[in-house]
Amino acid sequence: MKAVILAANRSTRLSPFIETRCKPMIRIAGQYILENTICYLKEAGIHDIVLVVNHQQEMIRQYFGSGQTLGVNLEYVVQDELKGIGHALSLCRSSLEKKPFLLVYGDVMTDNNPFLSILQTYSETDREVALIALPESSKEFGNVYLDHEMKISRLVEKPQANQANYVFAGMFVLFPKIFELLAENQHDISRCYEQMIASSGLQACLWEQGWIDMIHPWHILDANRMLMSSWKTAEIDSTVKLLGHVHLEGAVRIGPNVKIESGTVLKGPCYIGANSYVGNNSLIRNYSAIGPDSIVGYGSELKNCVLFGNNDVGRLSFVGDSVLGENVKSGSGLTTVNHTVDYSRISCSSNSDTVETGLTKLGAFIGDSVSIGARHTLGPGSIVESGKIIADCITL
Amino acid sequence: MCGISGIVHSENIGRNLFNSIRNLEYRGYDSCGMAMLNEGELDLRKNIGGIDEVNALENLDKMQGSIGIAHTRWATHGGVTKENSHPHLSYKQEFVIVHNGIISNYQELRERLISQDVVFESLTDTEVFVNLLEESYAELKDLERAFLAALQQIEGSYSIVMLSTHDPEHLYCVKKESPLLLGLGEGCNYVGSDLNAFLEYTRQAIVLDDGEYVVLGRDDYQIRNVQTGKIVEKAVMHIDWDVETSKKGGYSHYMLKEIFDEPQTVRQALKIPREQISGLAEMFTEASRAYLMGVGTTFYVANISQYFFSNLADRYYPALSSDEFSVVTVESGDLVLALSQSGETYDTKTALGYAKTSGAQTAAVVNVMGSAISMMVDQVIMQGSGPEICVVSTKAALAQTFIMLRVALELGLMREFLSQDVYKKHQQDLELFPEMIQQILNEQSGFVRNIARSTSHVEHWLFLGCGVYYPVAMESALKMKEVTYKHAEGMPAGFLKHGTLSMVEPTLHSLFFVPLLEQKVLHDRTLIAMEQVKTRGGTVIGIMFQGDERALAVCDQAVQLPQLSPLCAPLAQMIMAQMFSYYAALDLGRNIDKPRNLAKSVTVG
Repeated sequence: MKAVILAANRSTRLSPFIETRCKPMIRIAGQYILENTICYLKEAGIHDIVLVVNHQQEMIRQYFGSGQTLGVNLEYVVQDELKGIGHALSLCRSSLEKKPFLLVYGDVMTDNNPFLSILQTYSETDREVALIALPESSKEFGNVYLDHEMKISRLVEKPQANQANYVFAGMFVLFPKIFELLAENQHDISRCYEQMIASSGLQACLWEQGWIDMIHPWHILDANRMLMSSWKTAEIDSTVKLLGHVHLEGAVRIGPNVKIESGTVLKGPCYIGANSYVGNNSLIRNYSAIGPDSIVGYGSELKNCVLFGNNDVGRLSFVGDSVLGENVKSGSGLTTVNHTVDYSRISCSSNSDTVETGLTKLGAFIGDSVSIGARHTLGPGSIVESGKIIADCITL
Repeated sequence: MCGISGIVHSENIGRNLFNSIRNLEYRGYDSCGMAMLNEGELDLRKNIGGIDEVNALENLDKMQGSIGIAHTRWATHGGVTKENSHPHLSYKQEFVIVHNGIISNYQELRERLISQDVVFESLTDTEVFVNLLEESYAELKDLERAFLAALQQIEGSYSIVMLSTHDPEHLYCVKKESPLLLGLGEGCNYVGSDLNAFLEYTRQAIVLDDGEYVVLGRDDYQIRNVQTGKIVEKAVMHIDWDVETSKKGGYSHYMLKEIFDEPQTVRQALKIPREQISGLAEMFTEASRAYLMGVGTTFYVANISQYFFSNLADRYYPALSSDEFSVVTVESGDLVLALSQSGETYDTKTALGYAKTSGAQTAAVVNVMGSAISMMVDQVIMQGSGPEICVVSTKAALAQTFIMLRVALELGLMREFLSQDVYKKHQQDLELFPEMIQQILNEQSGFVRNIARSTSHVEHWLFLGCGVYYPVAMESALKMKEVTYKHAEGMPAGFLKHGTLSMVEPTLHSLFFVPLLEQKVLHDRTLIAMEQVKTRGGTVIGIMFQGDERALAVCDQAVQLPQLSPLCAPLAQMIMAQMFSYYAALDLGRNIDKPRNLAKSVTVG
């Protein structure tokens, strides 16, 4: 069986990170989402993968190439105009040889291999299958209704009413007849699903493990936490240099050529990518992911944060509940304030749009290649556009 | 409780026989094994562990042969060891058997055989019987006569299937007080503890009665009476259970699958002909005294029924736990109604036996066809909920509750406590219920799981309700205990201030079953208790109905169900509590379908 991964979409809601990369190229706990998906597919015995790309496709092509290093065959299909999922899928018709195939939305993250489950359901029922999950709120998704045989009996996209259904989890086993349905329905995939449900039936496969759809920037933190929670062991590369007294506890993962100075404490689960440096007396708390080639200066505290890589966090900084894009540099004394004084719910503003996060702890989201001078304080839920340069905060 | 299975075929049956005990795994899962005759040689493989574990060790599904027997065990005599697992081989290795039940006089028989230099491999009662076969055959040189001669010596309850090198064409089967059914295929025949053993292969079945034995070939079978030796003519049943229903489908656990089956099981319960329901109601009108009986979940179903009878028919019938039934003396003219999913529940069977010998009328609501209880009572209602594989009962309990609701309504009408109009209105509400369950399951799942996830760490729970919601709270607390291993105590909400309130502090969570607003008296009483808990710093979770702002204001977290009729409201809450326990157990990583220390149906004392 072949798989199609949809990786072309450009969703503005993931600003400030989406301007410089496509969603599947967000790096969590040291691994790109797309890399994770491809590895799961390979584990499930699927080696032929069609990637639909457009936005920031060079980054994908450069990193994955023909797929050889991961042991898979990648075929690229370019969706020149972003006209939705149905349109993207219809472009893959000639690549799929009139056989059943897996359709995978590229921005979905799970903490275990969902393809094994969906393929098992397919082999047991011989029907078209949709993976379904139960998110905390089902408002943003396609809500499904299940009958007693676990077939989907109804689909309601983004319901108005306050309900919490099972939802489409972004993975399907589909038959080639979908292409005829797409043609009939002007590439509207939801209408195709509805027709399948009404005629031949769509089998649900229930996914009860971790599942996150990357919609908003704080979902990067959720996904990072989900992935790290599944770590049971510490993994420290033999080239790592721990100088003097460095205290490690829990599932700490450290890549090659990392150097950590004396007095630093690492509380797992946490991750430090290759060639990074952590200065003296720092505290790297749980769910911190420091991407490769980064520097964390003396006396800094990191907690529940994702640093994409090539970052420089100046001395005496605090980075918590925050995401730093690639190549972000900050001077000494950066503080990301991660809650309000009264612990009220934090809203996040970007593109002149304010979104209620529902969270009471949230730091900052800093786009790629931002430079922040010394002694800056970023408020809860603040967003810094990529490329921005903020001068030092100097009192005299 | 154990599961046994046997197949006689013309083709290789290794895979099918393996699948058949896999489908019986819920009857017991501490060890299993298979024995097959392959070109005259007996191949016996068994070990301890679940079916898949044993298969990984022993390659059961790769075994060769066209005749064989298999067993999945739930230990009652002797520990869980490879030696004690079935099938059991005779000391000369010419006979092999699988057995479900208890041979009560096995000790003396064992001693006698040991004195005759028979060497035993295990501590089981079963091995005694297989060696008796060897002994009888040595004397009689006729397999059927040897089988009967060995049977004459044993006492107790048993269903047994025997395979011998002396007859590679037939299985010898017998049933006494433990279930055994035949499945009839084309050019092949099956035997098993229940339908799941062969439902995948055939829909034609015969239920054996106590004291019957069968010589089962691939094209023929003969059922005879053990005592008289006469042939017994039996009706062949066609099973219309859907095979899909027996399988897990896309669900990760049978428990969730069975909860999602509930709209269907209630539809089935609505299809039970009215004459059957009114027949049972009539028994209540004729009885001088009547008792409702069950044990575990079915005891709580009996408790809920108590309220139905009182509210809808102005009649009070005490609910008794089967194991405590001896507190009452029954006599002719009394009625004892038993509830049992499996129809094999030991305590309930014993109590019914006592009731029968005392001359009382007996009736039962049962799910499993051909089960002991369904055969022994004067009137039985088959609930038709389909196989329930998860050890924790959900759909079967709901269907029983629903059937009892129908009986209470019918009795209310008969006694003219309900007018025709009120009866009709209630009946309409019941007919709408399956659709309502479907909607609730679909639209509320996420909310229930959010609460379950955020509270799965809680060690101690109080489950509280008033009126009919009180037994619902007790049943729901049992569900919670069974599947999450957390402590949950069900009690009347009004009980709190009489003692339990002293326990309340922030770590103690209370789950309230809040009645409909229109049930004003019950609602007010429940709210008082909720406030008592809240004021003392306890955490309050509510299962309530939409539009109930007062209750919502007291709750830390709540599930708000759509408006329902007062008859169906407690049942809907029961479903929500099942989901709540399921998601809590899922979050805790419990063995949901087979919780530790529990078996699906308790057939031993």
